[in-house]
Amino acid sequence: MNNKPNIIEIRNLKKSYDKGKIKALNGIDLEIKKGDFVSIMGPSGSGKSTLLNMIGALDRGDEGAIKVAGMDLMRTKNLSNFRSQEIGFVFQMHNLIPNLTVLENVEIPMYETNASSKEMHERALELLKSVDLGDKIGQNPTKLSGGERQRVAIARALVNHPSIILADEPTGALDSKTGDIILNLLKELHQKEHVTLVMVTHEPYVAEMADRIINVLDGKIKSE
Amino acid sequence: MSYFTLILKNPFRNKTRSSLAIVGIAIGITVIVALGMVTGGLKTSTQSTLKAGGAEITVIQAGSGSFGFGSGSSSINDSYVTDIQKLSGVKDTVGILRVISNAPSGSNSSFSGGGFSITGINSSKLSLAGVDSVNGTIFTNGSANEIIMGKTAAQDLNKTVGDTVNLYGKDFTVTGIFETGSFIQDAGAFMSLDTLQNLTNNNNRVSNILVKINDNANITDVSNTIQDTYPELNTTTAAAQAGRINQGLSFIDTATWAISLLAIIIGGVGVINTMIMSVYERTREIGVLKAVGWKDRRILGMILGESIVLTLIAAVVGTVVGIVGVEAILSFSPSVGGVITPSFAPDIFLRAFGVAFLVGIIGGLYPAYRASRLAPTEALRYE
Repeated sequence: MNNKPNIIEIRNLKKSYDKGKIKALNGIDLEIKKGDFVSIMGPSGSGKSTLLNMIGALDRGDEGAIKVAGMDLMRTKNLSNFRSQEIGFVFQMHNLIPNLTVLENVEIPMYETNASSKEMHERALELLKSVDLGDKIGQNPTKLSGGERQRVAIARALVNHPSIILADEPTGALDSKTGDIILNLLKELHQKEHVTLVMVTHEPYVAEMADRIINVLDGKIKSE
Repeated sequence: MSYFTLILKNPFRNKTRSSLAIVGIAIGITVIVALGMVTGGLKTSTQSTLKAGGAEITVIQAGSGSFGFGSGSSSINDSYVTDIQKLSGVKDTVGILRVISNAPSGSNSSFSGGGFSITGINSSKLSLAGVDSVNGTIFTNGSANEIIMGKTAAQDLNKTVGDTVNLYGKDFTVTGIFETGSFIQDAGAFMSLDTLQNLTNNNNRVSNILVKINDNANITDVSNTIQDTYPELNTTTAAAQAGRINQGLSFIDTATWAISLLAIIIGGVGVINTMIMSVYERTREIGVLKAVGWKDRRILGMILGESIVLTLIAAVVGTVVGIVGVEAILSFSPSVGGVITPSFAPDIFLRAFGVAFLVGIIGGLYPAYRASRLAPTEALRYE
């Protein structure tokens, strides 16, 4: 298809909870190429969010192998560095910090970098302008609409120049019109910033925006 | 915005809860500061009180329990004054009669000390009582209408030289104002011994005899000689008084530390509660911070920092309330104000801020540890 290198390589990844009673991932094999836009689909409980959390190093697998952006996530001890440098998360709920301004929320991931206050400010401002919120940087997120909040969250995800954006149902809490705007924005930024975009959704029309759709059922990849 | 600014900002997300936590700790700090200022002030004035007396030994009636301060119940026949004078090692003696009268009528001040200390003494021997210099003139012996007043008493009663005060139904002219540095003496007045004896029906009686010893004599020896010669009398020395007062002050010191400890415990529990609630409410947010790459250390530092911010604000509030409180009480009650000049020694404030800092660390450590150990996926799922 294309000769881009793999940025995500997963072999027979397994993860269970509740002392093995719940098998969330039951042998996942998956490769995702650098710069691709991939949707992961599946009903609730299928393991799609668990898979996303594994890629984002929020959780560790029980067995198998997972390599993301050249990092072996089964062995790496310091996963927070990896998350800080390689991953940008966009959640279903925007998860913004209510007492901070829009700009300050976008700056938050930069605390683990060596950026100065000025650099943090400039980078956050640049991204907020690119999501069309340049005029709302001093506002409190509670005063924004749902779509605006999600745009702030997207800016926050991009602030550390990650190689992968992981979006977990990014339009799940939005009406369809606002959802479309957010999806188009994600797609546009993915192209502009050359960042790999992995999006979990259970809505087929949302998934279809991606270059590739992966269906997950009962902790396994069912089809592509 | 810097990490530091974030830590400063976060405690004010829930203003009510943070304010309550601050009040809880500030009460403890107020007590520490107020007690420190008062105890420190008492120590200073006690030292000058002990230094002020010209006499080294105070003679009292055996078993009367009065040690020179206040009138007590000590009553001695004034013939002992000349008797003791003759003992070896004694340079000079003077009999004094100390009475507590009602506050002088006509005073326009809120004299609330419960009484006004008047001492009758031979005016030529005032130096034995520690009165070395008088602004104005001293009273003449035998004069039935002259009085000298301590600086504090004069301030409280709003009197200056030439004014009159009414005591025992008689008008006395204030001929002079003295300052000894002793908070007890400065809040009282002196008049001629025989006048006071007449007014209080204490003819030929004195409360104490002040004894000045020869330069080469030993205080203990002279003290023992007096007690051996006159078993019906008791003596106390300045050194012994100092010991007793120091014992009392060290008791207050211990109490202050005990209260500080209590403040640490109560404040610490309050801070733990506040910070645990705060962490609990922000579980998702902590999950997000982990997701965006924050290290456990940074999360620990943030929560611990917030806890310390709370307690240091409490230290500032508590210190201000303590200072204002002490000053207010002293100015509303001039008789107490005259006795205690509050101390502003730096160690009082260091102790207050040290305690607050410690409470911040103790109270914040566990919630901060819990926050830092949260599993990111579980934290993000938290509703």
